[in-house]
Amino acid sequence: MKKTLIAAGFACMMGTTAMAQDIGVSMAAFDDNFLTVLRNGMIAQGESLGVNLQVEDAQNDVAKQLDQINNFIASGVAAIIVNPVDTNATQAMSDAAAAAGVPLVYVNRQPINVDSLPDNQAFVASNETDSSSKGVKESCRLWAEAGETAVDVYVLQGELSNQAAVQRTQNIYDVIEAGECPVTINVIDQQTANWSRDQAQSLMTNWLSAGAEFDGVIANNDEMAIGSIQAMKAAGIDMATVIVSGVDATQDALAAMQAGDLDITVFQDAAGQGAGALDAAIKLSKGETVEQKVYIPFQLVTPANIGDFLAKN
Amino acid sequence: MSEASHGLGGLKYDPRKKERPQELNVFLALVVIVVAFELIGRLFLGDSFLFNTRENVDTLFNNQRLSIIILQVSIVGIIALGVTQVIITGGIDLSSGSIVGVTAMVTMSFAQTAMVNGNPNPKAIFGEGLMDLPILVPVLVGLACGLAAGFINGALIAYTRIPPFIATLGMMVTARGAAKWWSKGNPISFPTEQYAAIGQGMNPVLIFMALAILFHCVMTYTRYGKHCYAIGSNEAAARMSGINVNAHKVLVYTIAGMLAALAAVVLSSRNLTAQAGMGVMYELDAIAMAVIGGVSLAGGRGSILGTVLGALIFGVIISGFTFLKLDAYYQEMVKGVIIVAAVVLDQWRQRGRVRG
Repeated sequence: MKKTLIAAGFACMMGTTAMAQDIGVSMAAFDDNFLTVLRNGMIAQGESLGVNLQVEDAQNDVAKQLDQINNFIASGVAAIIVNPVDTNATQAMSDAAAAAGVPLVYVNRQPINVDSLPDNQAFVASNETDSSSKGVKESCRLWAEAGETAVDVYVLQGELSNQAAVQRTQNIYDVIEAGECPVTINVIDQQTANWSRDQAQSLMTNWLSAGAEFDGVIANNDEMAIGSIQAMKAAGIDMATVIVSGVDATQDALAAMQAGDLDITVFQDAAGQGAGALDAAIKLSKGETVEQKVYIPFQLVTPANIGDFLAKN
Repeated sequence: MSEASHGLGGLKYDPRKKERPQELNVFLALVVIVVAFELIGRLFLGDSFLFNTRENVDTLFNNQRLSIIILQVSIVGIIALGVTQVIITGGIDLSSGSIVGVTAMVTMSFAQTAMVNGNPNPKAIFGEGLMDLPILVPVLVGLACGLAAGFINGALIAYTRIPPFIATLGMMVTARGAAKWWSKGNPISFPTEQYAAIGQGMNPVLIFMALAILFHCVMTYTRYGKHCYAIGSNEAAARMSGINVNAHKVLVYTIAGMLAALAAVVLSSRNLTAQAGMGVMYELDAIAMAVIGGVSLAGGRGSILGTVLGALIFGVIISGFTFLKLDAYYQEMVKGVIIVAAVVLDQWRQRGRVRG
């Protein structure tokens, strides 16, 4: 028995020395749909390459994330991948990794210090200013096609403390101001439903109780778009008369699109971002140079091209 | 002996000192808040909060708003019914939101349908054999999750003597971890039609109301209810008088766990999906509903009726702020102020009563 324990103890110690080939990953949140697809894409890539990933959950806490990065550095990982909780808080992370000489790759969210990253740091993400604007422009096209000149819409926002939510809402107004929308958009009201289907369902029902006429719903993500659809269907609204758009192209959203309820979503290649970040991290850990800014474009998804995306997210 | 006297020491019954029941105060607060929204709406928006002003609808009241007011708090309300019982016994339950999360994930896994829009279910957790199961299977599995979690809470508190705050805090963190682990964070969607029907329309309200009436009767007329109040008022005295305090605590936390699980079933059905992040902060909303409704955190005081009124105040505030087109920031700030104000008022009342 004692011998087994000693052997196990040695095995553990060898395990820790083997950590040198490990890659530490700190995700902003484990319970976010989109980030889960990204994380799984990264893990799948890691398995196929035989790289050991240690994935931590920062639970949307900036301080916790920085602690995790410092712990990774202390345990001597070969490289670190960070999906930042807050894109404004990345300078400290870059500094900590640079001081220890550990390569760092940001994934999915563009760090604020993207233009001043040290040589052994990189980022793989999509450009958020690109995200919902594709959906808004497509909504505009559909309204113009239906002969509308002025439309009334509701806007469902994500968590107000989140950069993507702020940007995706801002995109709507940018499209309007840039004159890229052929119809006049009047936002009746915009409120947060915290990315959540449940909250969006309640919020939409509250809006419906005011009885205002409206032509569309623009949501910062698919979950909230689906929540608003469920509320509208419960109130007996014909989904053909309303243009609903989301962002993410999740499986649930694609099913809603196939059912004829959701009109527009925007695909972000989550698994591709995850795999791309891991590739960059491995190259950096071997001392190779990589492209420091890798933008993975958003793609518009409509009933016309939905078939291309069914197997992706 | 012109005045009626009660008990020992010639304590006299003075009808002037008879206080209003706590629930009446909560009800008055509810009325004041509703009237405030109505007036602000009329003055500043030219629109009515309660009454119908839509041309295409022919009803006196704005029925849609009235129904969403209660619909949006029904699911947390179901949890609050259990939390009320826990708080009345002098305990606290921080784990209900996480129990909702893990139960929703497990339950939805057993409630999936095999075909979605003619394609195989893209979110399938189990193989063919465990799909399209009769509705009873996921519901029973869900209740079993809640029963197990609640039983562990109760047993830890009763037999290891750790404070309820710590025991349920542990469960809160553990159950949230389990919710994320179950499908590695992936959402679980596309339930059978039967399962989807549970939470549709006003069903959550009906379930909430039926349970509220049931537990109101239980707390008012049964030995179980009397024991809850006895333990919360004075645990040592309750034990002396022969109440099996430990067994009772296990039962109370188990019931609270099962109510949280039931809320998870309704929630996942209403949303047609289960996600690991479901139910975050629900435990605090449920506690706040009870506290606003006059349930004392010191134990021994409060009622199911009070909690239902507390839930309604929550619902009125959410709908009222959306009606006024005010942002969510203000909603949260006002919610916080109301919670604290409710407890401060309650403290004043209690002090007044001690002085006589």
